[in-house]
Amino acid sequence: MSDFNPISNNVKHGTERWTSRVLRIGVWISASLMITGVLIGKIIPSTMIEYSSNPTLGGLAMRMLSGSFDPVTMMFAGLVFLMFTPVFRVITALIGFGVERDWRFVAVSAVVLILLTGEIVYSMFIKG
Amino acid sequence: MPINSFVLLLLGGFVAGTFGAMLGLGGGALLIPFLVMVFDVPVHQAIATSIIAVIATSSAGAAMNLERRTVHIRLGMLLEIATVTGAILGGITANYLSAGILAKLFSGLLFLTAIAMILRARQHTAQEPIYTDGILPGSFYDDTNGKIVYYTVKKLPAAMMISIVAGNISGLLGVGGGIFKVPAMNILSGIPMKAATATSNFMIGVTAAASAFIYFAHGHLNPFISSIAALGVLAGSMTGVYISRKIKSKVLTWIFAFVLLGVSIQLFLR
Repeated sequence: MSDFNPISNNVKHGTERWTSRVLRIGVWISASLMITGVLIGKIIPSTMIEYSSNPTLGGLAMRMLSGSFDPVTMMFAGLVFLMFTPVFRVITALIGFGVERDWRFVAVSAVVLILLTGEIVYSMFIKG
Repeated sequence: MPINSFVLLLLGGFVAGTFGAMLGLGGGALLIPFLVMVFDVPVHQAIATSIIAVIATSSAGAAMNLERRTVHIRLGMLLEIATVTGAILGGITANYLSAGILAKLFSGLLFLTAIAMILRARQHTAQEPIYTDGILPGSFYDDTNGKIVYYTVKKLPAAMMISIVAGNISGLLGVGGGIFKVPAMNILSGIPMKAATATSNFMIGVTAAASAFIYFAHGHLNPFISSIAALGVLAGSMTGVYISRKIKSKVLTWIFAFVLLGVSIQLFLR
């Protein structure tokens, strides 16, 4: 047996707990936004804006900040928040490993985060 | 959207999410054919919706599994480097393939999945070996026998190679890729099935997120279809986790395998 130590492995679970909470919060916020969008669209169909193409991430943020809470914006906001939820949980794990002083896995989480961030930045330059 | 379509889409998402969560597949394998065949949704839009569904199923399921400590978070993070790399490549290349080729690829994947599930169901009673001479020790409480299971990870480089392929398929076809990752972790690396399934479910959210932004940027994300289907999948996956404790998984595996076989043949002939 190399570094098999069930006792030491069993006591470090702070990262798991916090990651779980972040995922749960992400799911509830995104589901709430999507439900609100669907309900507004169903209850008041006249407010439904014609969907033509996906907004950019920046465009969506601008719509939200300008107080435009039409059904399409709410649905997109829910979907985009859901897409960001795994990114938030990678950041949480990175911080959690840092608190546990597990620097190897801080580095591993940082690589995953860099790949995801690079991919998000790349997607912002794509024209639909 | 007419109320009938709305209810049908919600129901379709619910069924896909329920079966996906029960069998650890994320729900995309059923959702894509459903959207393409019933709603005539373009394949790229169906894949984008499926990726959203995978993120929803993974996030909801992983939150529960992390609390139950069945997820090997360190192994998951390590393999994510491989799967995210594969998913990014898959997301980029998918936009250069025609809808027809994607549909054929997906039908082939469904067929292979069905065969793998039948083989798994036939070997259901086999005792899985546990190795304690590897790296990254892990443990979880197995509530079926009331014992804590200790294990370690073997053949990590091989598991990472398979994870790159799984990530690539995920980005290309909008599925979780768990059908490759779970057997790799279980058979190659000696991870107990419960931990392998939970860790795979934990990973597929990040893998799917990696390609979701690319599909979003290409304009393949239809807000009406994706939101309604995702809400159905979310409710279904919660129900699926509950039902999976009550029903024999072997029976479900057989049913699901034959459903997949039928759908794959139908999609291939389309």
